[in-house]
Amino acid sequence: MESDDSEQMRSVVPDTRGKHRILAELKRLEQEARFLQEELDQLEKLEKASAACNELLSIVETRPDPLLPLTKGPTNPTWDRWFEGSPDPSGCRCWIL
Amino acid sequence: MSVNELKERHMEATDTLNSLRQQLHQKRLLLLDTDVADYAKSQGKTAVTFGPTDLVCCRTLQGHCGKVYSLDWTPEKNRIVSASQDGRLIVWNSLTSQKTHAIKLPCAWVMTCAFSPSGQSVACGGLDSVCSIFNLNTPTDKDGNVPVSKMLSGHKGYVSSCQYVPDEDTHLITSSGDQTCILWDVTTGLRTSVFGGEFQSGHTGDVLSVSINGSNSRMFISGSCDTTARLWDSRVASRAVRTFHGHEGDVNSVKFFPDGNRFGTGSDDGSSRLFDIRTGHQLQVYNQRHADNDIPPVTSIAFSISGRLLFAGYANGDCYVWDTLLAKMVLNLGSLHNSHEGRISCLGLSADGSALCTGSWDTNLKIWAFGGHRTVI
Repeated sequence: MESDDSEQMRSVVPDTRGKHRILAELKRLEQEARFLQEELDQLEKLEKASAACNELLSIVETRPDPLLPLTKGPTNPTWDRWFEGSPDPSGCRCWIL
Repeated sequence: MSVNELKERHMEATDTLNSLRQQLHQKRLLLLDTDVADYAKSQGKTAVTFGPTDLVCCRTLQGHCGKVYSLDWTPEKNRIVSASQDGRLIVWNSLTSQKTHAIKLPCAWVMTCAFSPSGQSVACGGLDSVCSIFNLNTPTDKDGNVPVSKMLSGHKGYVSSCQYVPDEDTHLITSSGDQTCILWDVTTGLRTSVFGGEFQSGHTGDVLSVSINGSNSRMFISGSCDTTARLWDSRVASRAVRTFHGHEGDVNSVKFFPDGNRFGTGSDDGSSRLFDIRTGHQLQVYNQRHADNDIPPVTSIAFSISGRLLFAGYANGDCYVWDTLLAKMVLNLGSLHNSHEGRISCLGLSADGSALCTGSWDTNLKIWAFGGHRTVI
């Protein structure tokens, strides 16, 4: 009968769509698990954080920094342009808007 | 295989994944034999100290009539573009405080803006899910508006952040509420690559921020509502190179460290963190205790040019200056004279590192520079 056929269709079609979605999600999870296992294997050979900290210290202290009170040189005179003949610090109110 | 069998396999795969994540977490903890602050102290380092008039507000850029949401400096010294709730981009000469352009946007709901490397164009994006490009040399139309020169359409959610690839006016990267980042060819307006999304491994929440490595422009970091930051190689869109866990809330802001081998993050959980991209280690947490346990979210971060200072803007208007090596807050710009009167929404360093610009919900932008006595070692 027609109603039985349409009922059958309704029960078959959503189930197929659900299956494909779950399969795609499953594949994604399995791939993610492979990536995580790779990362876990890489950790066996990884250096500890202290090595990275040591590198950080040496890098930070070698570069001149205009915002530090104590800094490596060379300095640049243009660093101080913000304080040379500065306009009214309350800002421009020109009518561009 | 039946649906039920598939569902069972799905559950088993989820359990395997959780177990692997747990193992990774435990193994990483064992490798964290120190953090930056403890290591620096063991090497006899002492914190940066600022005098009361060292870092000062030397400009206030007034002109927006709504909250400032985003700002970006040009690679050459002095120009800034800002985006506001008032539906405009303003281009400023930050040295003279003058406005050179005021661009009325077709969609007022803007969230991000960026200058192109040449300084000739600006990009912006927001709730319209589109990244719009404006050429600043194009004559204005009859209404006095700068016309859009390109619209980058393809995101299925809001555009939260955009950045041009360094030295390339032709490519930029956007992040979006649709959980993806996209690398665009600005000339054609087409997507070159989509990072994450429905059929690829990527973020599982809105992506809020993106930062491209200045030393290796193929690499970029994204920060997301899924509490992670991810490192991407722009040649490999199918999966992130590495995922960085640690935060307990949305990652609102990500920024590469000056040397390109580390990056910082700022989060809704109130902390900023420093991660190493080659090892994946979380090197340091920058967390300020608050008396009333009400910890304001970090909205935006930036590093000084040496990396010694981390600037972190907070939702309560504070702007902490962290000594990155000693993990000590050495100054709060929010407590200084002439500071902002509202949430700090964005901040960025000038190209030469001599000035910090902060943008706020109080509608202003402010320029901060070092006006004290500088000792050269």
